Amino acid sequence: MAKQQSTKTIGVPLKTRTSGGLWSLGTTFNFDVATIVMIIVSVVTGYLVLPPLYSVIQTSLFTTKLTGEIDEFTLRYYQDLLRELQVIGPFLNTFYFSLGSALLATLLGGSIAWIVTRTDSPLRGLGYFTAFASFGTPFILYTIGWLLLLGRAGPVNYWLKTVLDQPGPVVNIYSLFGMIFIESLLWSPFVFLMLAATFRSMDPSLEEASSVCGARVWQTMRRISLRLMLPAFFSVMLLIFIRSFESFEIPALVGLPGDIRVLTTSIYLDAQKLPPKYGSAGAFSVLLMLVVAATLYFYFRITREGDRFHTVTGKGYRPKLINLGRWRYLTASALVFYSVVLLVLPFLIILWASLLPYYMQPSIEAMAKFTVKNYITALHFPKVTDAIKNSILLGLGSASAVMLLTLFASWLLVRTKMRGRWLLDLLTTLPLLFPGIVMGLAILRFYLFVPIPVYGTLWILLIAFVTRYIPYGIRYTHSALLQLHKELEEASYVSGASWFNSMHRIVVPLITPSFLGGWVFIFLLSAKELSMSVLLVSPQTPVVSVAIFELWENAQVGELAAFGVIWSAILVSIAVVYYLFARRYGVQQS
Amino acid sequence: MAKIQRSWIVVVAIVAGLADVAITHRVMAATVEEIALMNRADRQKVLVEGAKKEGKVSWYTTLIVDQVVRPVKDAFEKEYPFLQVEFFRGNAERLVQKMLAEYQAKRYDVDIIDGTVSPTMVRRANLLQRFYSPMLAEYPADLKDAQGFWGTTNLYFFATGYNTRMVKPNEVPKTYEDLLNPRWKGQMMWSTSRGSGAPIFIGTILGTMGAEAGKTYLQKLKAQNIAKTTASNRQVLDLTIAGEYPLALQIFNHHAFISKSAGAPVDWQPHEPVTATIQTIALAKNSAHPHAAMLLLDFAMSERGQKVFQQSNYLPSHPKVPAKQVDLKPGNGRFKRAYYINPDAQYDKGNDWVDYFNNIFVK
Repeated sequence: MAKQQSTKTIGVPLKTRTSGGLWSLGTTFNFDVATIVMIIVSVVTGYLVLPPLYSVIQTSLFTTKLTGEIDEFTLRYYQDLLRELQVIGPFLNTFYFSLGSALLATLLGGSIAWIVTRTDSPLRGLGYFTAFASFGTPFILYTIGWLLLLGRAGPVNYWLKTVLDQPGPVVNIYSLFGMIFIESLLWSPFVFLMLAATFRSMDPSLEEASSVCGARVWQTMRRISLRLMLPAFFSVMLLIFIRSFESFEIPALVGLPGDIRVLTTSIYLDAQKLPPKYGSAGAFSVLLMLVVAATLYFYFRITREGDRFHTVTGKGYRPKLINLGRWRYLTASALVFYSVVLLVLPFLIILWASLLPYYMQPSIEAMAKFTVKNYITALHFPKVTDAIKNSILLGLGSASAVMLLTLFASWLLVRTKMRGRWLLDLLTTLPLLFPGIVMGLAILRFYLFVPIPVYGTLWILLIAFVTRYIPYGIRYTHSALLQLHKELEEASYVSGASWFNSMHRIVVPLITPSFLGGWVFIFLLSAKELSMSVLLVSPQTPVVSVAIFELWENAQVGELAAFGVIWSAILVSIAVVYYLFARRYGVQQS
Repeated sequence: MAKIQRSWIVVVAIVAGLADVAITHRVMAATVEEIALMNRADRQKVLVEGAKKEGKVSWYTTLIVDQVVRPVKDAFEKEYPFLQVEFFRGNAERLVQKMLAEYQAKRYDVDIIDGTVSPTMVRRANLLQRFYSPMLAEYPADLKDAQGFWGTTNLYFFATGYNTRMVKPNEVPKTYEDLLNPRWKGQMMWSTSRGSGAPIFIGTILGTMGAEAGKTYLQKLKAQNIAKTTASNRQVLDLTIAGEYPLALQIFNHHAFISKSAGAPVDWQPHEPVTATIQTIALAKNSAHPHAAMLLLDFAMSERGQKVFQQSNYLPSHPKVPAKQVDLKPGNGRFKRAYYINPDAQYDKGNDWVDYFNNIFVK
């Protein structure tokens, strides 16, 4: 320890020039921890991200032979795409859909996060539970739940029709509004988990100063809190915007029946042609990558003066809870409402469907038909216990690996002044834009050719998941570190701690809320991953999401629902147990 | 003494080992092609002997594991207890992508591949092996490949599913023309799925009415504003059962039958000629277990194997094996004529149907 102390300078905290000790073997090196971390992180990230990246670009520029081999160079996919972009309708729909979803999800998740972390509102635990539980519900099932609820013959329309005395359905879920509504509900737990972590680690002094100066709560929020949260808000909104822009599930299931076309609709429908070509999907994602690269570049320039966003400093840290007074009834009802909309309603309708031999609209008479037959069928699904075990293992593995890797990557991005580190930022964001099927194929091919024997094992799935979820991990750790003033680390170095020690004792404990939030999020996300899994699973490595997909394609809605209910229950229990455990033992509360 | 004995054992073991290798070599020397096309009196004996050494067979399937793959596997393993059937289930696109990628890397995991179009897809990439099976003689010409690249295991027939609470018996659209009744405007839904949705409906119309009349009909149908979804036709049928849309176009008749048997307010109505697709089954070019694979092919197409399909509520393609619910197959009461969409036709013309669908029906 003492050896390293001498060379540390405040302000340039990472120049740990060591002569002797751990890093040198007889010779004197000018070693710099940041460089080592940079090398390791870049190599690992590059190894994970570059092969699929290469594959996506290649897919967009070459035709393939019937055997799947690369054939001729072509710009046709880009030309088709540009022609598609000229049709203004789908483009505008896509834009409204993405922007609407990003805004609504951020508003929903953000408000709930604020209530839960910064106020003394009752029922705050409900926020966490709702976020976990709704996110643990398989995606397809969640969407079906909403379609059944808000469909033309669904209970909501039935009641509204009766109450408003209308002849036809009142709410049309198969609309742009319906798409935005479901998409933002799907993403709001992500916003919640991320912003809750950010809010919780906010320096209260600025807010206190504001209220001392006589500002009202909402003024403080608008002028101080919200502004401090800017990077975090930007991060989540960018992410949701991109994901919605390139998503085709909600547009296909909710938009298409109502004739709402978005950019991905024709790509999706066109992909049914044989032999399968992924050129259009590839070109679309390359174009998106360019847009995102530009955005990130500017974002990076804006946040370069990161000091403005430091909210966790050496001076006291526990943010004070805002005393809501009478308003707490309102916030409590907001929490209940959020929970009902996000979780209770869709879950109840799924539970309802799972108990019926065939689907019936909710009514007392239908209850006479209740049966557990669907649950028995679900539990007899081939290799169901293996699938559950594998999915849980994969979830644990990918969540831990992603969070660890992105913690270091974010630390580099935030703490060091290395040139070209925005490239690392880009590298860690790109997997977000890879079309799942292209990425799955890329990884499949890569490990068929490279002599690393992971093909047909769980490892190939783990590698795929880790790659896919790096962008989510980085959003969590990046905004958390941005808030952490470097003076804390500097103090640690000055006191003689090594780099590892100050990471371990200072940085990690302080960003634990974000770290855990991200961990749980990725755990739940990888439990749902489908587009790559369908290609990468082998007969020996079944996973749950693929089983659910099989049921979705071939089984009756009740069987799908029963399987979904069982799986959600397992996932949510794990997430909750983990979170309670981590909060109790893992976080240094002092 | 003990030493000498031990040396003897070693020598014997080596000789035995060599002999074993020689025998194996002799049997293995037959190429996949030779085994697949073998047609001689002791064929069964040779296949069984070879299969005993192979010990397993790997089947890439689009069939539903729980419903039919497992029963077929069990029945087959009972007949050949020395064999293990391994299967990988996926839709046509995934199976084909997986097989193509594996073949590019010279990894030959797959012995048998099935599906309504997947065997044709890999055949175009030249990854199938022609085969002979005595069972093929029992099938009519449109249920086997002229060159011997595929046989069939089961059939799918399409119909319009309707919610019996929303559609009165006298209203049920009986013909394709009846679907144009203004009563059904905005009341129908269909799946966009290439192999089991709107595109093959279009294929049937163009194929049976002729290009001109067919296109005129489809233009009128477009005005009916049919809702589209990427969900499978099973889900479309469930939405009809739930009352979302009274009519579900292009659903499998056996799905409606299964739901109806469970008490759901649903029934199916065929429109003649009924669209039919064929579940084909084929041998991979470089099958690593060709003897076992041939035994499985024989079994799946044999009357005994076909009875397993029957008992699993699938519609056997063997002419002598009726469906468990007999009227699900043509000529047994509910419909007479079927328009079989041959896998090659589905492959070659399917893109046009998809295009036609995208251009006409997707706004």
